[in-house]
Amino acid sequence: MGLVTLLYLVFLAAPIALLLVGSVGETWTNTLLPSGFTGRWYAELLADPSFRRAFFVSLKVVALVCVLNALIGLPLAYAIHAAARRGVRLAARLVSLLPIAVPELVLGFGFVLVFSSDTLPWLGTFWIVVAGHLVLTLPYTVNALVADMQQLGLPALEQAAAGLGAPFGSRFLDIVLPLLATSLTSAMLTVAALSIGEFQLSNLVSGFLSRTYPVVLLQAFYGATGFACAATVVLLVLAVLAALATALTGRAGGSMRGGDVA
Amino acid sequence: MSIEFRAVSYTYPGTRIGVSDIDLAIADGELLAIIGASGSGKSTLLKLLAGFLVPDSGRILVDGKDVTGLKPEDRQLGIVFQNYALFPHMSAAQNVAYPLKMRGIGRPQRLEQARAALVRVGLGDFTERRPATLSGGQQQRVALARSLVFSPRALLLDEPLSALDAALRVGMRDEILKVQRQADIATLHVTHDQEEALSLGDRVAVIAGGRIAQVAPPRELYERPATRAVAAFVGEANLWQGRIAAPGRVALANLDLAADTEGFAPGDVVTVMVRPERIGPAPASGINVFTGAVATDRYLGPTRRVDFAVDGVNVRLHTHVREAFSAISIPPDAIRLLPAD
Repeated sequence: MGLVTLLYLVFLAAPIALLLVGSVGETWTNTLLPSGFTGRWYAELLADPSFRRAFFVSLKVVALVCVLNALIGLPLAYAIHAAARRGVRLAARLVSLLPIAVPELVLGFGFVLVFSSDTLPWLGTFWIVVAGHLVLTLPYTVNALVADMQQLGLPALEQAAAGLGAPFGSRFLDIVLPLLATSLTSAMLTVAALSIGEFQLSNLVSGFLSRTYPVVLLQAFYGATGFACAATVVLLVLAVLAALATALTGRAGGSMRGGDVA
Repeated sequence: MSIEFRAVSYTYPGTRIGVSDIDLAIADGELLAIIGASGSGKSTLLKLLAGFLVPDSGRILVDGKDVTGLKPEDRQLGIVFQNYALFPHMSAAQNVAYPLKMRGIGRPQRLEQARAALVRVGLGDFTERRPATLSGGQQQRVALARSLVFSPRALLLDEPLSALDAALRVGMRDEILKVQRQADIATLHVTHDQEEALSLGDRVAVIAGGRIAQVAPPRELYERPATRAVAAFVGEANLWQGRIAAPGRVALANLDLAADTEGFAPGDVVTVMVRPERIGPAPASGINVFTGAVATDRYLGPTRRVDFAVDGVNVRLHTHVREAFSAISIPPDAIRLLPAD
């Protein structure tokens, strides 16, 4: 059992380790490991205008997608949760789950079809990339929030607050929002991680100036191996940071609620 | 009258479940306990009063004022929920201060009042603790303090003790009664525990199938139930079908019982009710003494629960007599005649 785990970890970590090694290797052709040590791949990457642009486009997309997820996801989750009729709830969940079930490629083609028309000629713009990422990530936010609302027993707490004299606005600000803060934060970080690494849809809908980092990254693979490795490591670091932050907020939330009974 | 239901009906959408034609009044300072099986409508009544449900017809008055159309937050009622519904992200003091915050009281004053309220329920040392770190009984007290701190116009208790251990429950009954008496407000107490209802209620309402079957002080409810259903639901009872043979005599299969038959005429079919603890072993012959045989005998510690067969009639009795016996006596004043249904 221990051996299997070890092998699995090696299997997981080996490509990442090789990327790190490759990004600082001088030359790497037909050998197991590269030879020589250099920082020039990172310097080249830093100097490359298309990579710099893509990096900042990605950051902007991630930030906007997170904000939009919170602004749309929270009310949507609340509405799904509060919907009195089971049918409404089910339909809303199905619709919000669809983007997970449908391959990104299909979604991408849909965007291409709809937004290359003369009436909606927005294909290739920055905002179409944001919209695409939003469609892909919103289900995660909504599902995380709806699940948390049920687990927290929010309806009973809201009734209690109402009975104590709290109108809707106060209930939302004093009870719903603080209790959901943890799951909202971790949902945002999941969204960030998804958005940073998203390739399929971005590749189809982004234009030359709105390419995200992973889209430009593909170009790197046609050039020097060291450069490609360095470019990938940058993405990797971003993704790891998001994952780490998710894990940390999850833990903080867990300890805050303590041994809370459902 | 502090709480009043006037011809209130409510049916859950898409079902036939609900309450119908409820007339009920709770006086200032009175504690009315409502008991009923699950699904009988007792919690529906509480939700209607709290404003979580809106009646299909009828009116609900609090302090003589019609609150039927008011939202829950505008009704000024103190509610203790089954699982307390304490806000998990707030301390005990913040929980108790919350209704005061909603009434525009400044932070220092409301926290001070909340701490004072917690001291009154014996939780002075726990004011800054989060609910999750409090025991069930302590959470219960916080919930009680929170429901009363803003001087509500009525108190609603929704199965407040059902989440507690049996041992704790009895102690908390006295606590609730003490606090309710101090606040001196009309209280609606919903419970499925009849002992709790009988020991706490000034009056007890039995609800079955969405209708009030009887409202009476505990003793009257137990000793003079209005119907067979109430007699069967509250406590244990022997319920036999009988017929008035003559004034003062009831025929029961082959038995002939002496009983008070006032209100019935000879020939009437009646339900004969006798509480098992009123029947005992009898040494010799006498009024309503019957010989027979013990069918089953269960040892319960302080008492024995015996099923005694007399001429084909099964008589359930509770007795503290340890010796064997072959005759029982049913005192005439223990016999209640109810309309047959």
